[in-house]
Amino acid sequence: MDLLFQFLTNTGYYLGDWRNWTMIVVGCFFVYLAISKEYEPLLLLPIGFGVLVGNVPFFKGFGLGIYENNSVLHYLYFGVVSGVYPSIIFLGLGAMTDFSSLLARPKLMLLGAAAQAGIFFTLISALALGFLPKEAASVAIIGGADGPTSIFLTAKLAPHLIGPVAIAAYSYMALIPIIQPPIMRLLTSREERLIRMSEPREVSRVELMIFPIVGLILCCFLAPASIPLLGTFFFGNILKVSGVVDRLAKTASSAIIDTATIFVGFCVGASTQGDVFLTPKSVGIFALGAVAFSIATAAGVLFAKLMNVVLKEKINPLLGAAGVSAVPGSAREVHLMGLKEDPANYLLMHAMACNSSGVIGSAIAAGVLWSFNVR
Amino acid sequence: MTGLEAISHYNGWAQAVAGILIVMAGLSGLSFAISQLHKVAALLEGRNKTAKTGETVLVPEVETISEPPAHDLEKTIGAYEELVRRLGTPFQLSELYRLCQEQGFTHPYMSIKALQEAGVLKPLGDGVFTWQA
Repeated sequence: MDLLFQFLTNTGYYLGDWRNWTMIVVGCFFVYLAISKEYEPLLLLPIGFGVLVGNVPFFKGFGLGIYENNSVLHYLYFGVVSGVYPSIIFLGLGAMTDFSSLLARPKLMLLGAAAQAGIFFTLISALALGFLPKEAASVAIIGGADGPTSIFLTAKLAPHLIGPVAIAAYSYMALIPIIQPPIMRLLTSREERLIRMSEPREVSRVELMIFPIVGLILCCFLAPASIPLLGTFFFGNILKVSGVVDRLAKTASSAIIDTATIFVGFCVGASTQGDVFLTPKSVGIFALGAVAFSIATAAGVLFAKLMNVVLKEKINPLLGAAGVSAVPGSAREVHLMGLKEDPANYLLMHAMACNSSGVIGSAIAAGVLWSFNVR
Repeated sequence: MTGLEAISHYNGWAQAVAGILIVMAGLSGLSFAISQLHKVAALLEGRNKTAKTGETVLVPEVETISEPPAHDLEKTIGAYEELVRRLGTPFQLSELYRLCQEQGFTHPYMSIKALQEAGVLKPLGDGVFTWQA
């Protein structure tokens, strides 16, 4: 009888409290969004199921939980806290990215830079709300709308916040269709949304091959702390454009990035144990994340409008919203909004250029924030 | 510590201003560099051509495809099927677009959209498409 009682008191049903059940509901919601609404399923499904797994109550000290030494989950989680998975994801991203539209119209790169304003505005806001500098930097990077970058920087500066920061970053990426369109509509007139972009020039293969080398040297020399992200990113890209290692490029852009995405999503989800996740700080992170993302979108759009003051050939200011590095969600939203106003106005290629620039911009921003807070 | 006091204490203003300036400087520099890349590329390609002067290079003849009328789906399918055949499936949509430009097509976006709506071009994700006539 004692044995049975002991067994029963070790079950999850007995050990669980409201925090576990709350997180299980959140996990189910993510799974629902991923499967039923197809909101960023590649991210939300692993994260959602990870949340379920991470919130199964267990007897502490068994070596089961993600925060317990020598547990299987802890070993998998190492890839997150060490920044290994984000680097691998960037390798795959590089191997998937086509920079030809950016090379054809380099000024669009400035929109990717402008959208990073959200990061630095949020940095100030987080400090004002009482976050410590390293925590504030980790929260601010959500404004870059780049999940792997957010995870990477948080792992380096404030590992205890990985769960809420990653969940906030990925949630807002999934909510792009809800967050971005009202901001874009609010800040642009119909005439501006109707601006058509001219056809981009043809980009030679040599240009595509030189770009990763030039990009690596310029960006990583400026912000060496971004090497783990941009180093692999540009390496992945040269695998793709060189044309001599198609096998490697294909593997990097499929099996490798998929594997890292699975583990990063699952581990981040599993790191949201109710007792460590449900804190007032997490609520603050979610609120600041929304602000960061909105400001990043607005900054991109407003900067595009500013550029139009001086440019002879106007650019569609909607493209500024794609300066956040949520690839390809924000580019798709820009494209769809352009199509709504003018069914023959195709902005996707141009928006993807801004998106690629945003990826580079947010990685530089992460490197800068890391170097500011290295002590 | 909270509010303006915290921002000043942790050097928040300086971090924010320096941060955005560094990102701006980095991407502006990169933007300028890539705006000059075509010159470097032209230089390199010119050298290659000079080095190969005197060699007989056999360039395979590629048939030029005339642009189909925008409203004629059947002719559009015919023309684009030939382009897709050259690319092989699956293919990047940007590659198909590039090929259209090489052929001098004036409205590839409209034709590609019509093909997508007709279910002939099937997206596989990440800009990769397959052809299903």
